[in-house]
Amino acid sequence: MDQLPNLGREEEMLNLMGLKSMDELFSDIPSEIRITSELPLRGPQTEEQIISDARALLDSNITSSTRPSFLGAGLYQNYVPALIPQLIGRGEFLTAYTPYQAEVSQGMLQAMWEFQSMICGLTGLEVSNVSVYDASSAVAEAITCSVRVHNKKATKKNVVYVSELVPPHRMSVVYNYTQGGGLEIRKLAHNSDGTVNLESVKDAKGSCAVYVEQPNALGILDTGLIHMKEIVGENTALIVGVQPTSLGLVEAPGNYGADIVVGEGQPLGSFMSGGGPIYGIFSCSKKYLRQMPGRIVGKSIDSRGQEAYCLTLSTREQHIRRHRATSNLCTNETLIALMGAMHMALLGPEGIEKLSLRNFASRQLTESLLSEVDGLNFPHSSLPHYNEFVVELPRPASEALEYLDKKGLIGGFDLSNWYPDKKNWLLICSTDQNTRSEIDLLVETLSEWIKVIQ
Amino acid sequence: MDKGDTMSRIYDFKGSKGTGYSQPKALMDLDSIKLPSELRRKSSPNLPRLSEPEIVRHYTWLSSRNFGIDTGFYPLGSCTMKHNPRVNEAIALMPGIASIHPLQPESHQQGLMAIMYEMQEMLEICAGMDQVTLQPVAGAQGEFTAIRCIQEYHKSIGEINRNQVIVPDSAHGTNPASAAMCGYDIVEIPSKPDGRLDLDALSAVAGENTAAMMITNPSTLGVFEHDIVKAAEIVHGVGGQMYYDGANFNAILGKTNPGLMGFDAVHYNLHKTFSQPHGGGGPGSGPIGVKSHLEEFLPSPLVARRNKSPSDGTGVLGDYWYSWYEPTKSIGKVQQWNGNTGAIVRCWAYYRRYGKELTKMSEHAVLNANYLRHRIMNSEDANIMPLDGVPAKVVKHEFTISMKPLKEQLGIGAMDIAKGLLDQGYMAPTVYFPLIVPECMMIEPTETESKETLDEFAHNFIKVLNMDPEILHNSPSTTPVGRVDEVYAARNLILTQSDDENSS
Repeated sequence: MDQLPNLGREEEMLNLMGLKSMDELFSDIPSEIRITSELPLRGPQTEEQIISDARALLDSNITSSTRPSFLGAGLYQNYVPALIPQLIGRGEFLTAYTPYQAEVSQGMLQAMWEFQSMICGLTGLEVSNVSVYDASSAVAEAITCSVRVHNKKATKKNVVYVSELVPPHRMSVVYNYTQGGGLEIRKLAHNSDGTVNLESVKDAKGSCAVYVEQPNALGILDTGLIHMKEIVGENTALIVGVQPTSLGLVEAPGNYGADIVVGEGQPLGSFMSGGGPIYGIFSCSKKYLRQMPGRIVGKSIDSRGQEAYCLTLSTREQHIRRHRATSNLCTNETLIALMGAMHMALLGPEGIEKLSLRNFASRQLTESLLSEVDGLNFPHSSLPHYNEFVVELPRPASEALEYLDKKGLIGGFDLSNWYPDKKNWLLICSTDQNTRSEIDLLVETLSEWIKVIQ
Repeated sequence: MDKGDTMSRIYDFKGSKGTGYSQPKALMDLDSIKLPSELRRKSSPNLPRLSEPEIVRHYTWLSSRNFGIDTGFYPLGSCTMKHNPRVNEAIALMPGIASIHPLQPESHQQGLMAIMYEMQEMLEICAGMDQVTLQPVAGAQGEFTAIRCIQEYHKSIGEINRNQVIVPDSAHGTNPASAAMCGYDIVEIPSKPDGRLDLDALSAVAGENTAAMMITNPSTLGVFEHDIVKAAEIVHGVGGQMYYDGANFNAILGKTNPGLMGFDAVHYNLHKTFSQPHGGGGPGSGPIGVKSHLEEFLPSPLVARRNKSPSDGTGVLGDYWYSWYEPTKSIGKVQQWNGNTGAIVRCWAYYRRYGKELTKMSEHAVLNANYLRHRIMNSEDANIMPLDGVPAKVVKHEFTISMKPLKEQLGIGAMDIAKGLLDQGYMAPTVYFPLIVPECMMIEPTETESKETLDEFAHNFIKVLNMDPEILHNSPSTTPVGRVDEVYAARNLILTQSDDENSS
């Protein structure tokens, strides 16, 4: 046991306190609920044994680092530049708590203030917090925030509209977060080509908020979104979910009237890590500032007249406002947001544009090469996309994925998991990390499969 | 504002276009990309421009202005700031976790699922619960998840009028906030003068509208609530559920458990008890455990294990096959994937280091807290002694002291002492929490500090108590910045680079 500096010195310390045994330290626990037997767990291990077991277990996994992957659906294969894990591993960042003592937390406070600035640079909005858990809680928090801001004037009180394409696992989080407030979630309809039905958007006028995604769950970039704010008007929040790397080339939602922009920060600077820790982006206009969730850093001055940073607008938060807080959010994803900040700083304005382009290009090339394969159909091919697109197969997507798996490819996502009537829809994702040869291999293997099944 | 000379500001770098990170060429040209002009970004995002060496130096400079456990003693009560073993970080960066997509087939992630299963089982044993889910990503989300499960449980047995959740006035703010998010009314009960749970106050409010009581034990005062079994009987007697806030779990592992105390649900703060680094505010991980009657409501998916069969194919480790499953009446999801699995893997490595000797971890956490309390409170060198937050013979992993006498006689409050401690090279203890102790300081040394560190801290603590009040009011003076003007920050709201440019 190498983690306990006072091991073997118990008696010395107890004696100094006038106590005789470790047991006395636990004498306040009533005997009927005291455990005196050993925990029924395995024995302790050394660091070397642990790392050897970890290797055996984790090396047995199949990952996008060992085989080509075309799986996206909300998390995206990306490259995390080498300096990022090394710099966030500095103990002063890694092992710090929330920066309540501003005088000794200027490093993280300034880094998060810079993160807020960069996120706003991407989204075209005025305010960002220092992260929420992930995209799903970001959507949920954006909805409840909008209701707090708009419910008074809303003609459809406690009603929000959510794009019907939002995947069920994200919707499930939204439902759990909103049911307590008695909110009614209505579906915003999409046209058969996957774009938002602008007639349906008219119904959302008078409600508290409308939530759409750009790109949407099918990878579609929808020009219709540009017109939504005009339709819903001032008193309904337009919430847009984004894939942040797309914003190097795609218009910032803040520039077409979005009031709140949310998204999965992961493609910017963070590993997929089996789905967490990742970070949720929450950015909004000043109108929503006092009702938003999470921590915010402000720039200030210190007692010596120097520039200094501190947490601000804390009276929204649970540790002060308790059950009237805007959210229960306490621990967030600061360190992962720091990874995002470092990635954005590394890229700069031209770099983020190029990263966008690489993603656009990789996807478009994949679709265009696949379109030459007989037997595949592309239901939305006339529309612009980012990262992902739907291929309609002659047989269920699950069968194709099984075949691709046997051939050593992670082939994509079976959309019948989200939309049960779309049995033959395969969602293929191609990011900046997919090389030409990987794309060729996918095309070749899918053609092979089609021949096999015919 | 002094635009000092030593500051490194990321937007002040003057890099020209292309100084940033070099990337491989895109597979197609910009001109060939399908992107209608109305969707095309009109101006570049306002990001800084700098090169790799400048970035490394900027963030290294920032880190030098930040205090972590690695920097020095971090006795922040309620936060369990223990040493974070570095092998855990090395493991979390292995591609077998870092590059896993949660939607990959089960056959691709058997190794990860084996770790998750082991963690579910271990946490069940430690808390005396029947089933654990690893999905909630923070303590507050764990609270929220458990209260949602309790809500659905009550609905399922037709008890739809239970609209109240009881919390003691010493509870963490997240407890009432999480219950309120589920739609409950909050009933706060006062603590007794000695800071302990008041059973009469509890009996007075418990009734047919009670859905649950949320409480931590040891309490936020660091003392064990010896009436906890009776409290559970009162709440269960009216049909309510008992919820255990695991923030203070580090004190009791292997000594007692929430199941024995009568709790139905519990959350674990893996970033406290199991050393997931706190990262300056997160990530955390907040699994919950429940008794069997709540199991079917847990979020989806859980990890199940069965004996391996020949058809299981590749990727199988050992004798078992792991699979995801959805509980029958699951509340659905609280995080859209499977939780902070990267944190779970770190905490698994931490657990492996102790195994059944986790009991020793708690023993030493309690030993250190009591020792430090003894050294401070029995010192004969203080001009004016602070008061015990609670008159207890022994405390658990943390203790509270009240600076009320110093405030009254010298005008020195808990915040002044906290700032004075920063000048001694320490992180300050938690101040002004719990609210029921006037001028409160809450001190939690954790098990990973040596006797010498504790002795030295006690010595310096008394030194600070004896300091000239004027000096304390003006401290800290050795830190990168002095006291930060929070009112200025809230009035001026300079929240981004653009705000800053507009304000100057």
